[in-house]
Amino acid sequence: MSVLDLPAPTARTGEPVARVRDLHVSLARGGVRSAVLRGIDLDVLPGEVLAMVGESGSGKSVLGLTLMGLLPEASAPQVTGEVVVAGTAMAPGAGTEAARRQVRRVHLGAVFQDPMTSLNPTMRVGAQIAEAAGSDDEVQRLLRAVGVPSPEQRARAYPHELSGGLRQRVMIAMAVAGRPSLVIADEPTTALDVTVQAQVLDLLRSLRDELGCSVLMVTHDLGVAGQVADRIAVMYAGRLAEVGRAANVLRSPAHPYTAGLLASRLSLSTDRTRALRTLPPERSDPALRQVGCPYRARCALAHDRCASEAPPMEPPPLQLGQVPAPGHVRACWAPDVAAHRAAELTEASGAALRGAPPVVPAPHGDAGSVPEPAPEVPPVVSISRLTCSFPVRVRGRRTHLQALRGVDLQVAPAEAVAVVGESGSGKSTLLRVVAGLQRASGGEVTTSGATRPQMVFQDAGASLTPWMSVGALLGERLATEGVPQRERAARIARALEQVELPAAVQGARAAELSGGQRQRVALARATIVPPPVLLCDEPTSALDASLAATVLNLVTGLRERLGMAVLFVTHDLSVARLVGDRIAVMYLGRLVEVGPAEQVMAAPVHPYTRALLAAVPELGSALPEVRGEPASPLAVPPGCAFHPRCPAAAQRCTEAALDVRLERHRPGEPALVACIRHRELAP
Amino acid sequence: MTSLTSSAAAVPQQRGLLTGRPVAGRARRAVTDRRLAWAAAGLLALVTLVALLAPVLAPHDPLQPVGLPSSPPGAGGFLLGTDTIGRDLLSRTLLGIRTSWLASLAVVAVGLLVGGTVGLAAGALGGWVDGLLMRVTDLFLSLPATLVAIAVVAALGPGLFNTFLAISLVWWPFYARIVRGEVRALAARPHVEAARLAGAGGVRIALRHLLPGVVPSAVVTASLDIGNVVLTLASLSFLGLGQSAPAPELGADTARTLAELLQHWWIPVVPGLGALALSLAGNVGGDGVRALLTRRR
Amino acid sequence: MTTYVLRRLGALAALLVALSGLLFVLRRSSSGDPVRALVGANASQEAIARARADLGLDQPLTVQYGHYLAGLVRGDLGTSYRTRRPVGEDIAAFGPPTLELVAAAFVVALVLALLFAVSSILRWPGAVVFRAVLQVGAAAPTFLLAIGGIVLFSAVLGWLPSGGRGTPGDPVDQALHLLLPALALGIAPALALGRVLRSSLLTTLAADHVRTARAKGLGEAATLRRHVLRNSAGPALSMAGLQLGFMLAGVLVVENVFTWNGLGSYLASSIPVDDYPAIAGVTLVLGATYVVVNAVVDVLQALADPRTSA
Repeated sequence: MSVLDLPAPTARTGEPVARVRDLHVSLARGGVRSAVLRGIDLDVLPGEVLAMVGESGSGKSVLGLTLMGLLPEASAPQVTGEVVVAGTAMAPGAGTEAARRQVRRVHLGAVFQDPMTSLNPTMRVGAQIAEAAGSDDEVQRLLRAVGVPSPEQRARAYPHELSGGLRQRVMIAMAVAGRPSLVIADEPTTALDVTVQAQVLDLLRSLRDELGCSVLMVTHDLGVAGQVADRIAVMYAGRLAEVGRAANVLRSPAHPYTAGLLASRLSLSTDRTRALRTLPPERSDPALRQVGCPYRARCALAHDRCASEAPPMEPPPLQLGQVPAPGHVRACWAPDVAAHRAAELTEASGAALRGAPPVVPAPHGDAGSVPEPAPEVPPVVSISRLTCSFPVRVRGRRTHLQALRGVDLQVAPAEAVAVVGESGSGKSTLLRVVAGLQRASGGEVTTSGATRPQMVFQDAGASLTPWMSVGALLGERLATEGVPQRERAARIARALEQVELPAAVQGARAAELSGGQRQRVALARATIVPPPVLLCDEPTSALDASLAATVLNLVTGLRERLGMAVLFVTHDLSVARLVGDRIAVMYLGRLVEVGPAEQVMAAPVHPYTRALLAAVPELGSALPEVRGEPASPLAVPPGCAFHPRCPAAAQRCTEAALDVRLERHRPGEPALVACIRHRELAP
Repeated sequence: MTSLTSSAAAVPQQRGLLTGRPVAGRARRAVTDRRLAWAAAGLLALVTLVALLAPVLAPHDPLQPVGLPSSPPGAGGFLLGTDTIGRDLLSRTLLGIRTSWLASLAVVAVGLLVGGTVGLAAGALGGWVDGLLMRVTDLFLSLPATLVAIAVVAALGPGLFNTFLAISLVWWPFYARIVRGEVRALAARPHVEAARLAGAGGVRIALRHLLPGVVPSAVVTASLDIGNVVLTLASLSFLGLGQSAPAPELGADTARTLAELLQHWWIPVVPGLGALALSLAGNVGGDGVRALLTRRR
Repeated sequence: MTTYVLRRLGALAALLVALSGLLFVLRRSSSGDPVRALVGANASQEAIARARADLGLDQPLTVQYGHYLAGLVRGDLGTSYRTRRPVGEDIAAFGPPTLELVAAAFVVALVLALLFAVSSILRWPGAVVFRAVLQVGAAAPTFLLAIGGIVLFSAVLGWLPSGGRGTPGDPVDQALHLLLPALALGIAPALALGRVLRSSLLTTLAADHVRTARAKGLGEAATLRRHVLRNSAGPALSMAGLQLGFMLAGVLVVENVFTWNGLGSYLASSIPVDDYPAIAGVTLVLGATYVVVNAVVDVLQALADPRTSA
């Protein structure tokens, strides 16, 4: 019996698939009980995609777990209110566990964030899907439906043999087995590359179209919500801030928090000439959550009533000439949020990002193009035909992982180059080779300047020796550079000032500092003796949006003040655009496109750059068409490495002898592309 | 696009087999836990003191008959009774404790030093040195330690020093492996790379950025291990591989008086209880040291 | 998978060779003199020289080792100074009782460990007391547990016999005789195994993939069977292999106390007279058993977790 033969869910009757009324959930963690959800009223309508958007600590994931009846007993949950899914009460204590299990089996499906740990590592994926699907035929049909290639083979694979994207598809297959009424997806794409994310979101939406199930998508990213959701519910501090149709919420947010989130979101259209905006800082005062509106401490529009009375969920008052938006409600006393500019609801997190005009380095070694009249400055980093491969053992056999397959790049003094790529692109390896932490297998890297390049790592906390104080770490750097003892105190103080840290931080150890502070200390250590080039390895990926903006501002500010170059590796195009004068795009160990940031963003040439750009979740934009999985550096496709996924691939792109290199796209312009068909491709 | 998630990550799993702990008073317990930890660790120091002062603390000469043979505990002023010749069991046990405890400390110390150095060298130097050292270590670890110790002592001839040597020989690989593992784990962390970038040389990195991270766990392992060594020593002594008569030794004293078990049970049992006391002290003390030195990482 | 097994077998062979080498080296430094043992204390010089040639002691060391190794492969472990019989024969005679005892102790350890782990996780009443008893028991030297058991269960309560193997042909009697020694031998391994089992089960129960299983609507029994047990097996298997090593040493002590006629008694008689071939033979056989069992454990682990052989 196929998926489509099963009786359709309650979609046809129009009743909500899930209903939540006045839900309060408190959990005990580490001996402390805290209220996680405070009075949630929500319906999930049949066949809709509802996005729950909120930051960490908002309670969005707990709501998902409550709907599934999977609140852990170890946290001694206390639940009041009504939680009904497909006619059955799901709150612990109401009804029987057997009834809840039945609902989970028949009406619910779940997709969790990390597919590696969410799948049983010792069981073949086919067997795991079969637990939900019931028969092997069904497993095959499901695998095909979620777009897993060669399903007969893949079903016999173990989870660790599949890529992240494939694993998540397997999770989705398990979730939609048995045609559930409601699929709960908890940050399903956060751990995935951006192109894979686009595919998975597309898959979720198309499955919804086909099967008619509802999807509750929990996410922290408004862009993701904007791409797939019909309705959006914004959560803050355990309460709903705003609920409404996606278009309405995103275009005319009715709650200051939503407006602030939208304004502070780093996107491809963030203004580069102004300082980045962030939400006002959070204050962890438990009293804030008890009475009144929990957002009031950060809200520019707060007034007395906000402190004494929690606002109810109501439609916003209509303004002149405004069309009423059905179903759009918010919990706020302020009469007209939309009238306030973003600048009022957010804060500037530092000086403007863009300062001096970008310096374009002298081009190097490309045949048949007119050399540019560029300034004769020797580059501060010069990378030439760099290769790097590691011997690895995969399933008992020895092979090579080709991280870098011939990279040419130059960085001019005081220039910022952002290197962009997904996992497996080799971008981190490139950085490590330049830093001298990794030895190259071939090619050459030279750096000029008085001192060696310094690096800022992704995990700032782990890059600080846990038992040494900040002062000791900074002092060590000075000592190895031969700075005399008597000067050190002053220089340490100045370095801390430059990263906006109080001098008292000197005596602290890494564990006593917050994530943002640790990253600043790392920056201070890297720049206390100004290096010719600062290498940044995804320093903002693990940080919340506001912290990320602050770090970006610091990096750019330091760069201007100290006149150093920056080589910034990231997977996030929005960040790359904000930091880099030039952007270099990497795929499977090679650069595929290099050019001025605005140009690469506005008019990308290489098909991969176009795909990357199209895959970035922008509000209201359609999901792009990107094929295939990112290939693995263990098995690089012959010819042009991108050809299996390239919409413009031709026969000659697959020839093994092909050695596609960067060439000037148009004479007289600085942009470089590595594609043999680049002149034929439409701009 | 990655975010430091979310409440779900902090929320552990479900009902069924796993039921929750009662939650109240956790913070209050932390303070008392700390005092208990200090007390436990202090126990180790106390036992060492007793061991060192045993000759002074013993009320009678352990080698001389001083009372009626086979007196039960409490009779005639002998707290633990006398053995078949009339020697005071309390004194004998105290001396036995001294031998066992100090020898165990010595084994652990040697193990830490030798094993720790090997492990540090292997972990820090890497390459073929690491490979070679670890092959040797693995070899020792793959063989049943106590059996090999028995074979070694049997070959060298019985005696306290030989027993100590044999046990040390089979014990150090354990520490080498642990220290190497810790060094490798630490060396892979970014802070070592960051230190290298900051210009620190190999020696400086080893001393300032690696060693302070390894020492706590090595010390914890060592203190938890003391109990095991005590028991192994006692077993070897029981099998006749320790000191020869009439020296008081916890295992040997039991072995030599097994025949008295059914009639004068305390004669073979008391030395065994001495070993039990040492082993318990080692376990409790080791737990205390672990509680003190292991902060939430 | 097959490459993994082959590699493991190779390592196994290397270990056995190394063990034999170790014992060979030790023999050379042993204080017992095989020549004297063969010809007596008052032999003439020629008799001694002849004996030396007979024993092959006049050959270079490497040749001697070669002979030794070849002999081992044939099953020739030398001749006991004390019993004058081939050590191999002695071991074959004394081996089965030891095997029986170790196997029984293993079963006891497994049962107690499971009890410990499950009672702790499910919070059964009395779990805390059980745990405390096990902890004290495991801290006691094996010989103390043995003699304590005899005093309590035999002398005071009279429930169990105090030694020997029981009447041949009477399985109930033999089982009763087996119980106390197995208990004495198995308690310490039970605690170690129980701890690892408990910790492993707890970790697995909290794992994400178990949450997924529940989200699929799987019942508790199915979740346990398919998603928990196999995943928790790894560390417990390793610990079981390790504990076997301690048991093989502990059995020597226990046999002594209970006059159990196995390898332990054989060894105990060999030590005072410096019967090195016997000592080495027992060590080799027990050591080889340990090494083989651990190799099997490794392979079982690889079977249970496909990531290991990857």
